[in-house]
Amino acid sequence: MSAASQALFANRWLPVLLVTPLALLIVVFFYVPIIQAFYWSFFLERPFGGGSIFVGWANFARVLADPQFWQAGRRTLLFMVVGSSLAVLIPLILAVAADRAIALSQPARNVLVWPKGVAGASIGVVFAFIFNPFVGILAPLNHWFPGIWNPGIDGTDAFITLIAAHVWGGIPFNFVILLAGLQSIPRTMHQAAAMDGAGPWRRIFDVQLPLIMPQIFLTLVLEFTESVTSAFALVDTMTQGGPGGATMLLVYKIYTDGFAGYDLSGAATQTAILMVFVILLTSAQFAFLGRRISYER
Amino acid sequence: MVENAHSLNIAASLVLLLGITYILGPLYLTFATASQSYEYLLRSGLAWIPGDQLFNNIARIFTETRIPLQMLNSLLVALSQAVATCALSFLAAYAIVGFRARWAGVVFALILATIMLPLDIRVITTYQVASNVLAPVNWLLDATGLNGVIGEVFGAPLHLEWSVLNTHFGFIAPLVAHGTGTFLFCQFFRTLPADLFKAARMDGAGPVRFMFDILLPLARTPFAALFVLTFLSGWTQYLWPLVASSTPDMQTAVVGLARLSPDTDGAVPDFPLIMAGALIVSIIPLAMIALLQRYLVRGLVLSEK
Repeated sequence: MSAASQALFANRWLPVLLVTPLALLIVVFFYVPIIQAFYWSFFLERPFGGGSIFVGWANFARVLADPQFWQAGRRTLLFMVVGSSLAVLIPLILAVAADRAIALSQPARNVLVWPKGVAGASIGVVFAFIFNPFVGILAPLNHWFPGIWNPGIDGTDAFITLIAAHVWGGIPFNFVILLAGLQSIPRTMHQAAAMDGAGPWRRIFDVQLPLIMPQIFLTLVLEFTESVTSAFALVDTMTQGGPGGATMLLVYKIYTDGFAGYDLSGAATQTAILMVFVILLTSAQFAFLGRRISYER
Repeated sequence: MVENAHSLNIAASLVLLLGITYILGPLYLTFATASQSYEYLLRSGLAWIPGDQLFNNIARIFTETRIPLQMLNSLLVALSQAVATCALSFLAAYAIVGFRARWAGVVFALILATIMLPLDIRVITTYQVASNVLAPVNWLLDATGLNGVIGEVFGAPLHLEWSVLNTHFGFIAPLVAHGTGTFLFCQFFRTLPADLFKAARMDGAGPVRFMFDILLPLARTPFAALFVLTFLSGWTQYLWPLVASSTPDMQTAVVGLARLSPDTDGAVPDFPLIMAGALIVSIIPLAMIALLQRYLVRGLVLSEK
């Protein structure tokens, strides 16, 4: 209906009226908070309405000089790279398998979307229990090799638990998108490749994967943002940032600085930095990766 | 096409089996542990086989915790968030696609930008805005000098205050301020043939009539898809209901569940009770996925394109 513009209605005020409710909510609860985060990052904000003083770049200098900020930044980056690679790779392998006409394909398509109904915080609570060093599934291992597994003390163990929970929750969306991509590949493509002598294994790499590059790219982009921003529920229910800051991701640090430490300026400054990072990351991915992928079908 | 793909099919079956185990394993262990007693847990750890304490543990969730009340909160929040998102996104998308407005492209881009920066990342200042939604109005009054005039005439400058924290409206509004729904409906409207418009206009239907009598019935599937998607996202929200609620009776069930495990130094938490809570809290969204899976998958695919 966008094709023929003469078919559109020409009312002047009706569309304004229609878009206003949503636009108002978005201005108040999206744009105002974003502007305020940048505004606060240049002011020393006192909690409980104690007024504010303009301090220029002092907040940024303070945050950037803080080793804890850099540690949280590195942890966030590591979580982003490892977490989102696995959260795309595992659903990709599952989607390629589920695309075949085998008995398990239908039950798998059903079961693999279930995590969508389990909240991040519930996943965290459950995984914290399953990987509990004293009563969890790895407790017998500790019995034979004392101290080999303890997410409460060992930072690496805690990080692995966090990633396992993150990937579990990320399977449904990525699986559905990638499978939809695989299924939209015309059968004739497979047949033509088979005629040319490409076996079923070879066709995965030479036909299927190149043709669903747009979907792989898209899930990766969304997964990057998702892993930077939505790990809060997992960290809060599983590790609270510990042990020793090993799982202190930036979203969680912003929360603790702002709500527990009442350091509003510091939290707002870190929010501003994180937002710029996410925006740059997304744009860079579209600029560099997006261009190399042919969207032709 | 007949072809020998035996090795690949076996590998694929194994992969799917592993995937299903990865998803169902934790859910099964949750269920098995929820049906054991605390004493059993202390004695033999995590349960691999279900016991007979399931109803006992569930009864304790209902009598000893606030989760039943918090589930009502979750239901109210998720339902109203889904209804509000569907309605407002539909109207906004119609305004953007259905009219000859020069600002449509800019507004569409500004709405879509919300997808890039989710609520979790800007929670500090969103909290501040929610504690006084009218703060921007105050700021405008101050900045334009209008407040000086008001102060002279009425004796005191105007200072408006309206906090939506700890209200159901406050839980919902920042989450409805999101572009996925508008995007989904815009994509759908653009697939409709232009002749539909011409025919409607020839028959004398105005824009409002067209929306109610033609567009609304046609958009049933995207409505259902968006409803399921938003309901699930509303039910599973954690950070925002956590900070926006200040009393346990206003918390949602997911927040209540996370608060079930106290920091017991040294002692093993009552995992059977907590796992029973996890089951109860997840039962409504899981049932929804089982019944409305078709729409969920459609929604996920539509929101991508």
